[in-house]
Amino acid sequence: MDNKTVLVVDDSSLARMMIRKIFATSFKEWQLVEAKDGDEALGLPEGRLRLALLDFNMPGMNGIELAEKLMAKYPGLAVYLVTANIQERMHQRAESMGIGFIKKPIAESKIADILKPFA
Amino acid sequence: MFCLSEMEEDALKEFFNMGLGMAAASLSQMVNNEVLLSLPQLKVVPYEEATRMLVANEEEKLVAIRQNFTGELTGTALLIFPGAEGLELVRTLLNEHMPLEVLMELEQETLQDVGNVVLNAFLESFTQMMSLQFEFEAAEFLKGSSSFLLDISSHLAAQRLSLLAEADGEEERAFVLMMDFKTHDEEEAQHTLSGFVVLLFSQYSMEVLKRELKVILATL
Repeated sequence: MDNKTVLVVDDSSLARMMIRKIFATSFKEWQLVEAKDGDEALGLPEGRLRLALLDFNMPGMNGIELAEKLMAKYPGLAVYLVTANIQERMHQRAESMGIGFIKKPIAESKIADILKPFA
Repeated sequence: MFCLSEMEEDALKEFFNMGLGMAAASLSQMVNNEVLLSLPQLKVVPYEEATRMLVANEEEKLVAIRQNFTGELTGTALLIFPGAEGLELVRTLLNEHMPLEVLMELEQETLQDVGNVVLNAFLESFTQMMSLQFEFEAAEFLKGSSSFLLDISSHLAAQRLSLLAEADGEEERAFVLMMDFKTHDEEEAQHTLSGFVVLLFSQYSMEVLKRELKVILATL
């Protein structure tokens, strides 16, 4: 069976709980790994990650800085910034790195869209 | 004594973060520049202490756009620029080479428009996450000290509700949610603008928010 693991990094427990609930309800084939900031995420034991959902505004490194490190550590990882704050320059920088966006507030339909390539 | 659980506080910060994130995206379009945000700070303090927090953060002379909201949620949202930052924003938005006197004439109207866009984007995040209805009053342009900006006697909504708080013998308290922002221009690092957003809720609204947060958290 294909192991599908998603990493969720957000300093807000509410945001993590909302994402956890969506996966537990509608996308049960995915396993969730959570971290509250970039340092914790990078310190997680190595495993096969397919997808990372990252908050942008976090203590320590921001979502784009974390994405850069994660993409080097996990080649082929699909990364999305989950944020309400989508600005032109941030968008351009993220796009040039192959990072996608999910606009907060998070919803099941938004997760469903980004999971299509994994079906 | 009113207090929030750790989860409730976390949830409120996240709403605030989302709101200011949306507001920052709007402001970024207006100034054609990246807007960087700090992490949100949340405190439940008496109004007087809220004033002291602002003084501690910034100099006495402030320019602000204040927008009161009333309904199921009642309170005040403030977009505050220290000292001459307000004029700097007007200069950025209108014309770099405009004479100072012209800029000063346009300051009030321009900042009111900016405040309206930013504070509405910000407060809308609360309506997206909660089933609460509230209306915005017109944005006001204010210049003065932080105590003047937060003056409870000039805050119509709090004035009404503080009477309720006094009735049960408690000092009027407020949520103070603060976030700093600054613009970031990679080409002209010196040309930056900074300010902060403060959100105050009346005592009654704090209870409403707490109830609403409980409902949301119970579904997770």
